[in-house]
Amino acid sequence: MPLIRGKKGGASGETSSSQQGALDSPDADSRWTAARALAGQADAVPALAVALAREPIPRVREAMMTALIRIGNTASVEVILPYLRSQDASVRAAAIEALQALPDAIAPFMTPLLSDGDSDVRLLATELARNMKASEATRLLCELIDHEHHPNVCAAAIDVLTEVGTPDALPTLERCAARFAATPFLPFAVSVAMSRISGEES
Amino acid sequence: MHISLEQVQRFCEFLYRRTGMSFAESKRYFIDRRLEDRITATGSSSFQEYFSLLRTDADQEIEHLINSFTVNETYFYREEHQLRCMTTSLLDAIVRQKKPGATLRIWSVPCSTGEEPYSIALWLMENWQQVDSYNIEIVGSDIDTRALKAAAEGVYGDRALMRLSRDIIGRYFKPVTGGNYQIDEGLRNSIEFTRVNLIDTKDMTQYRDFDLIFCRNVLIYFDDASRRLAAENLYDCLRPGGYICLGHSESMSRISPLFRVSRFPDAIVYQRPEADHG
Repeated sequence: MPLIRGKKGGASGETSSSQQGALDSPDADSRWTAARALAGQADAVPALAVALAREPIPRVREAMMTALIRIGNTASVEVILPYLRSQDASVRAAAIEALQALPDAIAPFMTPLLSDGDSDVRLLATELARNMKASEATRLLCELIDHEHHPNVCAAAIDVLTEVGTPDALPTLERCAARFAATPFLPFAVSVAMSRISGEES
Repeated sequence: MHISLEQVQRFCEFLYRRTGMSFAESKRYFIDRRLEDRITATGSSSFQEYFSLLRTDADQEIEHLINSFTVNETYFYREEHQLRCMTTSLLDAIVRQKKPGATLRIWSVPCSTGEEPYSIALWLMENWQQVDSYNIEIVGSDIDTRALKAAAEGVYGDRALMRLSRDIIGRYFKPVTGGNYQIDEGLRNSIEFTRVNLIDTKDMTQYRDFDLIFCRNVLIYFDDASRRLAAENLYDCLRPGGYICLGHSESMSRISPLFRVSRFPDAIVYQRPEADHG
């Protein structure tokens, strides 16, 4: 077996503006390379937003989302948020994964998301709380549960609280079980969450 | 310190979601011991306090925790089923696209102190009949330059060699001082050891056109954003149609949708698709 050496190519020295132009290329590999090169470059958010909206190739979309995550500011969150409403489940999942990687940047958007008129958006938003600080996640999810009428949204929030909730969630969970007593899976989910949070032996 | 069953369940669900490591109820003693050790080591006064610290990954606690739950030592022929998969399935699929004499590139990253890339080389010589028909290049890379220096020296103790037969040790190693063994000079010279950071895209542009990558038990240490970046970097390092082998508790489908799951009799591996499907 011969000795081999890595190719000494180094990163492309192209500028951000030329990389942004490459996001329009008809060639998927060129768009992928451009998106990867723009990771962390805040001035590229508008170009990435336009490119993401029309990108048909999943792996290139993925690279564009990663570039926005690496930028990680409010503007990049605002680009990703609308994809929570996509009709394509894979796009919604990609948006959730991307936003979960930005727990601090997503924080200011959580209250409006959790009170969105679309129950599917509220349900997805509960998952974004999973990577947030326990106290903040508990506060946000309890506010949601106390006003939520959709049992599936409550169930999703309870599932997250089961992992991250603090004892402050216990009164809200008790009220939720009482409100949804006729929906058997919710009182059961509440009982699991309460015992996990309080650390009781079952 | 008493840790309740409910707390252990909560902890195990987090650990599974975060790292892919799964522990059955029967491992309760194993879990409790390590959990108690980490609670003490971090100065936490309760499980709740420790769990909050863990979730925020303060002081890289997730890395410390994973280290306490995994066997850190590495040895020759570790996860042998993947090496078997390489010679019974993967290489045959790869060379179907190549002419005899063509180059076949294999990357071990992270390679630590060299046990994995040397294992790949030994396994190929012992188990792949076509080994002389192709120009096989093996690269071992790691972020730790001390580990790389040790890898290049190729000196190992009994524990590292415990899975190798006496016959293989006799043919490929020579005894050196301290009861250790040094791997054959020809093998040492056949593998290039280089430093790399998996999440440094510029660094990773030096590594291209690999047919097969072994990237085991490192992605579980990364946070979500770093895992995505590492997955994209590894995608660029592979040839279209190339394969990547991860550690047994890792799943690329959980990490990135860039790769396709490929199930073979000996192992589940991940493949860079030949072409995009929009």
